Order: sequence, then structure tokens, then C-alpha cells
Amino acid sequence: MALLEMRNICKRFNTVIALDKVDFNLDQGEVVSLLGENGAGKTTLMKVLYGMVKPDEGEICFSGNRVTIDKPSAAIKLGIYMVHQHFMLMPAMTVVENIIVGEETGKGILLDKKEALDRVQSLIEEYNFDIDANAKVAGLSVGQCQRVELLKALYREADILILDEPTAVLTPTEVEELFAAVRKLKIAGKSIVIITHKLKETMAIADRVCVLRNGCMVEEDILPEHTCAAELSRLMVGRLVDLEVRHPAQQIGSVVLSANDISINYGQGNCLKHITLNVRAGEILGIAGVEGNGQSLLLRTLTGLESGEFIHIKLDGVEMKCSPKVFLSSGIGHIPEDRTTMGIVGDMSIKDNLILGYHRQKSFSLYGLRRDREIKSNAIQLVGKNAIKTDSIDTPVKSLSGGNQQKVMLARTFSQPLRALIIAQPTRGVDVGAMEYIHNQILSLRDQGVAILLVSADLDEVCTLSDRIAVIYEGEIVRECLPGELSKVELGLYMTGSSGKSAEK
Amino acid sequence: MDNIFAVILLATLRMATPLILTTTGAVFSVRAGVSEIGCEGMMIAGAFFGVLGSYLSGNAWVGVLAGVFFGMLFALLHGVLHVIFKVNQTISGMSVNLLAAAIAPLLIKLIWHTNSLTGNVASISSLEQSFLKEIPLIGGFLSQLNLFFYLAILFAVSGWFYIFKTKSGLRMRTVGENPLAASTLGINVIAYKLTGTAICGVLSGLGGVYLSLGQLSQYVDGMTAGRGYMAMVINTFGHYNPIGAIVGSLFFGFFDALQIIFQSSNIPSQFLMMLPYLVTLLVVVFGLKNTRQPAGVGKHHDA
Amino acid sequence: MGTQFNKLKSNPMIRKTGFSCFALFLSLLCGAVIIGYSGYSPINIYKVIFVDTLSSKSGIMLALSQATPLMFTGMAFAIAYKVKIINLGEEGQLHCGAMAAAIVGAYIPNLPHLPHVFMALVAGAVAGGMIGLLTGVLKIHFGASEIITSLLLNSIIVYITSYLCNGPLKPLDSSSPQTPFINESARLTRLVPKTQLTTAILIAIAIAVLLHLLMSKLTLGYEMKAVGLNLNAANVHGISIARIYLFTMILSSAIAGLCGSTLVLGVNGRYVEDISLNYGFAGISVAALASYEPLAVPITAIIFGILKAGAFTVDRTTNIPVELVSVVQAFVVVFIAAPKLTEFILGIFNNIPGMKQKTGGC
Repeated sequence: MALLEMRNICKRFNTVIALDKVDFNLDQGEVVSLLGENGAGKTTLMKVLYGMVKPDEGEICFSGNRVTIDKPSAAIKLGIYMVHQHFMLMPAMTVVENIIVGEETGKGILLDKKEALDRVQSLIEEYNFDIDANAKVAGLSVGQCQRVELLKALYREADILILDEPTAVLTPTEVEELFAAVRKLKIAGKSIVIITHKLKETMAIADRVCVLRNGCMVEEDILPEHTCAAELSRLMVGRLVDLEVRHPAQQIGSVVLSANDISINYGQGNCLKHITLNVRAGEILGIAGVEGNGQSLLLRTLTGLESGEFIHIKLDGVEMKCSPKVFLSSGIGHIPEDRTTMGIVGDMSIKDNLILGYHRQKSFSLYGLRRDREIKSNAIQLVGKNAIKTDSIDTPVKSLSGGNQQKVMLARTFSQPLRALIIAQPTRGVDVGAMEYIHNQILSLRDQGVAILLVSADLDEVCTLSDRIAVIYEGEIVRECLPGELSKVELGLYMTGSSGKSAEK
Repeated sequence: MDNIFAVILLATLRMATPLILTTTGAVFSVRAGVSEIGCEGMMIAGAFFGVLGSYLSGNAWVGVLAGVFFGMLFALLHGVLHVIFKVNQTISGMSVNLLAAAIAPLLIKLIWHTNSLTGNVASISSLEQSFLKEIPLIGGFLSQLNLFFYLAILFAVSGWFYIFKTKSGLRMRTVGENPLAASTLGINVIAYKLTGTAICGVLSGLGGVYLSLGQLSQYVDGMTAGRGYMAMVINTFGHYNPIGAIVGSLFFGFFDALQIIFQSSNIPSQFLMMLPYLVTLLVVVFGLKNTRQPAGVGKHHDA
Repeated sequence: MGTQFNKLKSNPMIRKTGFSCFALFLSLLCGAVIIGYSGYSPINIYKVIFVDTLSSKSGIMLALSQATPLMFTGMAFAIAYKVKIINLGEEGQLHCGAMAAAIVGAYIPNLPHLPHVFMALVAGAVAGGMIGLLTGVLKIHFGASEIITSLLLNSIIVYITSYLCNGPLKPLDSSSPQTPFINESARLTRLVPKTQLTTAILIAIAIAVLLHLLMSKLTLGYEMKAVGLNLNAANVHGISIARIYLFTMILSSAIAGLCGSTLVLGVNGRYVEDISLNYGFAGISVAALASYEPLAVPITAIIFGILKAGAFTVDRTTNIPVELVSVVQAFVVVFIAAPKLTEFILGIFNNIPGMKQKTGGC
């Protein structure tokens, strides 16, 4: 009998099926890797186990007994502890304080710092974690922060640890150190579930692999020694039926936008390493990669939001001053990756959002006065042309559906004369119908001679649209290729760091 | 004791007393993650309702309790508006300041029928007649201080002890640093935030009571004179630590005291009275470079 | 019929007006408690305040002249809040402007009427604007919170002006702290003889219109709106946040300074220490009730002006002090937060399980 059994778990968010009759088992002392793409349902499944999400159907059994887990403290009581993808730490406080708060040592109201230190210290030594217990968390590396999160679980004597994307922001060395810790935990009798999309690590550490795809458990009980990365990749990504028709570029011109040897380091994995990119007129360069590998920083750099001595961006051979105003007015369009925080002003009308960034152009502003008539006709025209569903151009844009909001952002930029376009996650949160429309728009823009840089976490999208693909991993371009040169599975390997770091350009 | 050193020291300690109390209150509020901008209003509430309580009961200590109670009440208004109804904390804090500043003159008119002063009421005198006088050497000096000064030190030290040495204090600090993380650890974020705000109200109220019942025996409109805002700066200056609050309050209290010492000199009184604010402004602009308040101030546990 | 009502409910202007009316109503209710405590009937007192004030010419004049400074301070707060700046330094900016106007008005001789008035008004606006510039620079270059700095500057400025009118600028023959009377040429014209109503109210309304035009017709106003509603998106799309902050802070404080000018150049004729009856902070209530719309500020200012004028009458004839108005104003600020309360309550109703349709199995 398994230690933990999850049976027939179903969960639905509005119209989206997140989990579809999923079964999941866990034995004592085993390390299970829960594998899947972004949105496959793996985090949702574990959140159900941890009491953060209530399943619509299904049950959880512990050592044969049915249990109800309705909040994290109930899970913690059962000995389950989840280490979240984003750390839940207090940087200004020490390691010891971060670990013990909520379950403090000491008699009565007094905090016994010495006892706390001793207990934490002994855990650190037992698992060989190499952390200074008295250091402030703010000064720790990402790998060390993660170990503090593990210590929180160990301090609470958890038997089942759920690690959500633990290696997402670790360097290879830190990953090794994490694995050493996991192996130690296993020997101590703990059971560990690792939620991940990284194949290399799965192969290295898991006893057993379960693959989720689109909310369904595709395969359970895969033993790493009986499979390979390629097979797992196939299971994760799905059948390679090429439903997507490609429209290759007909005429590629000279280099329009170029970034030369850009390196930025903000610490904690937020960095770019020697990025050199060239985008040509009439070409789509697609940046493929799992989110969190430097894409945001790359986007900021290419849209003028990062300035510095060593950042050199050239448009048609001329170096640009790094400011979003200059970039926009020079014809570099920008579709940001996060619509609500960066792309639109929710409380402003559709009409006003359609000129954001271009509001100082002569067509919309004369001697500082708004040209109401032109702004209005611009809005009417764009709303009609792009089939944006709304009653009026004066309604605030936040009341539109996600797909229509996206259309507003795109309509705004696409209606401008562009030399280059930096576009990120164009079809995120958008239904299939709008997706096709948006793709067509991007392609037609390309055919007009615009140089396009596309960043997307959706590998299918990148492969369909791009004329050239570059894979970004941990802030570096690790592979450039033409579409079709590598299969999606192989690309997936590069995206997850499984294919070595040699940059074959 | 006539020497100038003692005079200055005495004046400084007297001026520092309300600052120590209010700033310690501010420490609690910020450590729990709530802005302390309402301190001025809490002080006004304490000062006025202290006098009202003393007036109605004839007993100064009843007045003290009344002042403290109303300080807490006003603080809870700020707390509930911000923590429960998610109002911008500057607005909820300022509305407390405005309300207190408006209610006091209104009630003065209604009850005493005068414009901006109340009549004299029973107050808390200094400890001149107490046992302190017997202490050799410094006894004479110590007994000239008001009981409130000793209370202020006591509360500051107790506050320091609570925040840094107890389990509950650790939890409060966690709430102030990262309410989301705190909630994942099972800590009741709302309870801690409201408690921190309430304690701020109690201590700021007490600071206000000292101004009206401790230093004088009446309430004068505007007597808090922005000390609540000064406490905010001292709080930052003292790194959100009650011991730092004591040190900072002594520093600012010194400048506050200068106006009494130089009263009879040629310097225009306005410049002397302005000095504490000027010093505070300079500290805000140049002196607060490296202090960072708890990372979760103004944040909620579910967003 | 139901859908018509829903459509009305969702019109933003109607919603805001509704909330403001509700907040005002609650605040007056709190005032009624105080009136009741003093032994009077709230209905009678409010009748005196509102009805009687409006039915006499002198009442209306008093209401309008009490409303005028509130229009300025209300607009100053409202325009700053459009970019999410909370200007708490209006009191100091006002005093600074008042002193500047008093000096220009009194010490510059032999000027014709219009230029003199104009210069004195502008002097006040500039003086106030400089304080705003200082506050803005301290925020942008030193990271100093404008909330604290503007509050501290309030105190500092008031002490400086107090020194000036108690000392160097005090006329030799006067016994109370003040500056010399301004020349007749600098005085604002009274609109209605023998009342306190001057052309200041026209200036205020003109500014309301100008601010409205700024926000609706100028590209700069568009940028300000974007900064106030979504700082990040504005930055990404090339709007300079520092520039907008600085401009708005200067504009807001200049209006407050202008308020000071009109107080000196109007009925007072000179600077006195109590030139401002807390107009600076009252401006927060006025702006809040107007939902921070510059064009609506004159209306809410008049409402509070009527309240104030009526309260003066009530103060004379009954036991109820004029400070009642300040209390009602303070409650307005508290209750304008009430929309969040109401929304919150509505939100609870939407989330009750069982009220939602079951989506069935997988």
C-alpha cells in the first residue's frame, strides 16, 4: 500500500480543465518527478495535495485512510510540506528566524534563540547544507535560499516534501548540491515529489517519473533507466503532428536591429550573458525558451528600458539612445509580455489606449494639444479593422476580454510604420480563433519588410512563425537554427539545458 | 541644581518623553507592516481625551486611561480601514489625523465654551515629593522628572524585549516583512497588523496625554505641533527599534529643548521653534539613506 | 426597467456622484449625532445651515466667499492626486504664497491696478510653486518621501512667515502680527459691494476650467492620467515619470500659493498669522468629495462653503460651535473610503458558493 494515494482528481477553472481524472501515488522513501510543460497541471495537482486548491472531485488517502486537506496547515499536520517556486522568505531576517517562525523554540513567550540555533545547526550539519545560520537571508545565493526553504520543511519534520520547480533558478553546481540533499533526505526516509519540466534533472535524480499533459496523467511509473530524455520529451509535448502550416519568408533583407555582446547581471539568476542578436528585414527571429531564462531582461534591453555603458543596440547600423521614447519613435514597436502591468492602462478608454506610446506623434498631438478627431477616427478604424468586440471606444479597456485586450495592444502597434517589432507572448491568454488572426497579422507585417523578434514560451508558436530560431537558456543563446533543422523534441532538450552548452551558431 | 548642564538635560528629557512614547508606538505599527502616519492624530486624541477624562472624573489617572483608550480607538479606525478594507494607508492614516484635529476643538467649544484652551484639570505632577529625592547625588535631579518619563523608558525597553526576544514578536516582524509568507506559515496576519496598530494608538495616546496632563494641566489646540510626524522620522532614524527610538528622541528632544533654554536671548522665538523641524527635514533628506523599512509595509497577506 | 437601472449603475460618473452623495450623507449623519448630543434637533439645525443660508443674500455671499479658498486648495489636492501624489503641504504653500503676495502688494508702489494685481497673484503662485519644486526634487533626487517633507515644510514655512510678520515686516504702528496693508492698486475687486466676495472666485473657476482642459485636451494631461493609472505601462511607453511628477507637484503647490495670494489681496488686505483657517487640509475633503475631478471641485467647495456659512450663524445663535464643519469634513474623508467598503460587501455576495453555477464533472 502506498503512503499517499490521490485518486480521480478533477479540477476545473471556469472553462479550462486543469486536472482530468488524475491518479497519483507516492511510496515512502522515493523521489518522484512530476513532469510536464507549462500549464500541464502539475502545480495544480500538488496544490490540491497541499490544501491550496480544492478539487472538484477525487480523494486523497494517507496510509489507506481517507483524509481531507482544506488548507496548508492541515497538510503540514499530516507531514506534507511544499516548497514554492517563489521563495516565501523574509530577506531582512536571519536564516534561523526564517526557519523557526510559526514553530518557535523556547518556554512560554520567550524566544530561545540558542535552542533554535542548535536545532537548525544540527539539521544543517546532518544534511551538509553549508549555510551560516546567523546570516541574513538577503545575502544568500539562490541555491542557499532554496536550502533554507528545505530546512523549513525538515524543521517541521515533514515526511513528504513537494518541491515546485526547484532547479528553475539554480546554477548547475547548485543543482548538484540540491540533489545531494535530496539523496540524503531519501536515505532518511522522506518522500519527495519534484515538479519540473527539466528532463536532465529528472533523469539524474528521480526514482520514478510521471508525465502530465493538458491535465491528464499520460504515463505513470516510468523508470528513468528504462527511458530516455527524448522519449520523455515526446510524452510531454505530444504527438508531432504538424497541424501548423508554415509560411516561410519570401524576401529577407539586411540587418535592421542588432544587439552586440550584451551582458547584464542583476544577481540571483537574473542575467544575460554575451547576447548577440541580429534581426533582418522581413524575417522573424524566434526566441524559444522556458520562462525565466532571461527573456524579460532581453525584452527590456531591446526596447530601451535598460540603459548602461555596455548596452549597444543599433537600428540600421546607427546606435540608439536607450530610452523607450526614442525606440518607439524610431519605429521599434513593442508588444510587452505582461499585458495588464505593462501593455495597457486598464482604467483608460480603448480610444486612449490605442495611442499609448505614440500619443506625441503629429497625427495625434499638435503643439501639445490632443487631436480629438484624429484620435477618435483612429480608434474607430482600428476597432473595426481588428474586430475588437466592444460597444464603444470610450469604455475602459479593462472591461474587455483578454483576447480583445490583446487585440488592442496589437492594433496599436501594428498600425504604426515599423522598422522592427519586439513582440512577447503574443497569444497568451487568447482563444484559438484570435490566435490564428494574430499569427496572420504578424506574418503579414513580416512580409511588409519589418524585422521581427518573437519571444514565446509556446514552442509550437515559435516553430510555426519563425524564420530563424534561437534558444535561450540561463541568459545565454545556446543554439541557433533554422526551423525544421531540429525537431521540437531536440529543441526542447536545448530549452531545458539537456544538450550541453556549446553554442553552435 | 542650577548648573546649565542639568537644566539642558532636564529639558531634553522632558521634551523627549512624548517622542519616546509615540515613536515606540510607531515601531510597533511599522513592524507589523502598517504605516505610522496616523500617530499625530493618535497623540491629539490622547492629549485631548486625557484632559476630558480628567475633567469629567476629577481624577488625573482616569484621564490617562481615557486618553490611552481614545488613542487606541483612533488607531483602530486607521487599522480597520487599511487592513480590512484595503484603503491606501496614507489616506486612512491622514483621515485619522484630520478627524482628531477636528473633534478636539469642537468638543472644547461644546464643553468649555472657549476657543482653543480647556480649563485646568487634575494632572500628573513630577515626582518631587517622592522617594526619588532621597537618592544621593542625583536624587534631586531624578525627582524633577515626571513619572511619564520613567514609563516611557519602561515601555520602550519592554517594547524592545517583546519585538526581539519573544515568539510573538518574531511573528509580528514576519507579518511586517512578508505577510504572504507569514500566512503560509499559519500566522494570523490580520490579527497581528491590528494589534500593532492598536499598540501604536495606546502609546501615542500616552505620549499625547503627557503633553496635556503631564507637562501642563490643560489641552491647548495644536499642542502636539507635529510631534507625531517627527516620531515617524525618529522611527526611521532609529531603525524601527525602540532603543533607537530612545536615542533618536533624545536627539530631537534636545533641539526641542533649545527653545526653552534660549527663550530670553535675542534669537527670534520662531527660529528656535522651527529648529526641530528643520533638523528633522535635514535628517529625512540626508540621514535616512540606508534604512529600509520592513519589506511588507502596506502589503496584504492575500495579494 | 432593470437593465436601464443597471446601465445607469455602470456609468462611472453616476457611480462616483452616488458614492459622494452617500459619503456626504453619512458625514452629516455623524454631525447630527453631535448636534443631538448638544441638545438640539439636527433637522432644525441643518435647516438653518442649508435653507436659511441660501435664502438670504448675505448668506449666499458668505457661502461663496468661504467656498473660494476651498476651491483652490481642493483643486491643488485633486490635480496632484491625478498622478497619485498626495500633497499634504498645502498649508505651507498657501502661507508662502500669501506672504509673497503681501510683500508685492505692499512694497511695490505706483503701479496701475491690473498689472499690480497680476504681479501679486503671480508672486504667490510662484512662491507656492517653488515649495512644490523643492518637495519634488527632494523626492526624485534624494528619495525623501513627499508626505513627510511637505508636512515638515508646513511647519517651517509657517514659522518663517510668523517671524516676518512679527518682526521685520510688522508696521510700526500696529500691535498685532501682520504685514503692512497692500496698496489699493493691488486689491482684488469686490464683486458685490459690502460683501467678502471678490474676483477671486472667478479666478478659481477659471483655474478649474483650465485644469479640466489640461486633463482632457492636452497631451500632457493624457500622460499625467497614464502615470496616475498605471505607472509601469506609462514608463514602458516612453513617458518620463520624473518629469510628470515634478510638473504636477509644482502645479499643485502653485495653486495652493495662489490661494494664499487671493486671501491677502482680497478682504484681508495684508498677511496675518491666521490667514488660513485650515484651508489646506480642508482641501483634502473638498477634493475627495469631488472624486478628485477639478471641474467638480467648485461644486463641492460651494457645498462646504454653505455648510461653513450656516455654521457661523448656528455658532452665534446656539451652543453648537462652527468647528462642526471640520468634523463633518473629516468624516467625509473617512467615508469616501466607503466605496471600497461597499464594493467589498458586494464582492462577498458574488463569491458565496452555491450562488455560482455548478460546472459539473470533468
